[in-house]
Amino acid sequence: MGIRQAITDIRMMNSLFTTAEAQAAELGDELPGAEHLLLAVLAGPDDSGRRAFATFGVTAAQVRTAIADTHTLALQSVGIDPTLADRAGADRTGAAAAPTGPYRSTGGLQEVFQRAVALSKEGGSRGHTLRAAHVVRAVSEVEHGTVSLAFRRLGLDRLELQEAARRAISSPAAD
Amino acid sequence: MFEPTEIPTPDHPEEAFAAVVALRRLSARLERSAVDHALEQGWTWSQIGQALGMTAQAAHKRLAPHRRGLLD
Repeated sequence: MGIRQAITDIRMMNSLFTTAEAQAAELGDELPGAEHLLLAVLAGPDDSGRRAFATFGVTAAQVRTAIADTHTLALQSVGIDPTLADRAGADRTGAAAAPTGPYRSTGGLQEVFQRAVALSKEGGSRGHTLRAAHVVRAVSEVEHGTVSLAFRRLGLDRLELQEAARRAISSPAAD
Repeated sequence: MFEPTEIPTPDHPEEAFAAVVALRRLSARLERSAVDHALEQGWTWSQIGQALGMTAQAAHKRLAPHRRGLLD
């Protein structure tokens, strides 16, 4: 890997992880996970991830809502009023702590990011570009967890989403 | 007063794990918020540690606003 590619990768990683941290803070989570990385790429300038979801008529806002609903329903399943979560610190979220030092994240985020980078290198061409749809494809490979449940709530089939993401990667960006 | 509810049973792991994740998020949020309020009200880390069943050092290491998340 050339030095220019390495620098590009680091810049992209910085940008993605910073946005994922912001997404986590907005949702009241202390550490960004795979779901926040997904929301980060769907909010970014590369529209390939959004195009993959658009294949099924699903928007980034609907993905975000489905993620929040997954937690809401899970709380209800144990008899807890989900509005309690809002009252338990709506005024203070993870955002209160100014991030310092190295990026902090869950193992889930790291695994999805590494898989997305590996997918971006498939084909063996010189250099590679990590696209939003690579992250969509990587996250849709995860069989269990919050994102998987959210996809199910949206009526998305993970294999079909992977294929849509693959097509979005190979088609040119809209912008 | 307290109405028991059916909770996901361990033989339905998907639902049970989703509940665990949601409860963990709620617990962490409540803990962070309570610590912030306690500090504003003048609680010491020793008092916070006592209330949470841990030492002052452990409480500070895990819950001080500038350190949150570093050890998770």
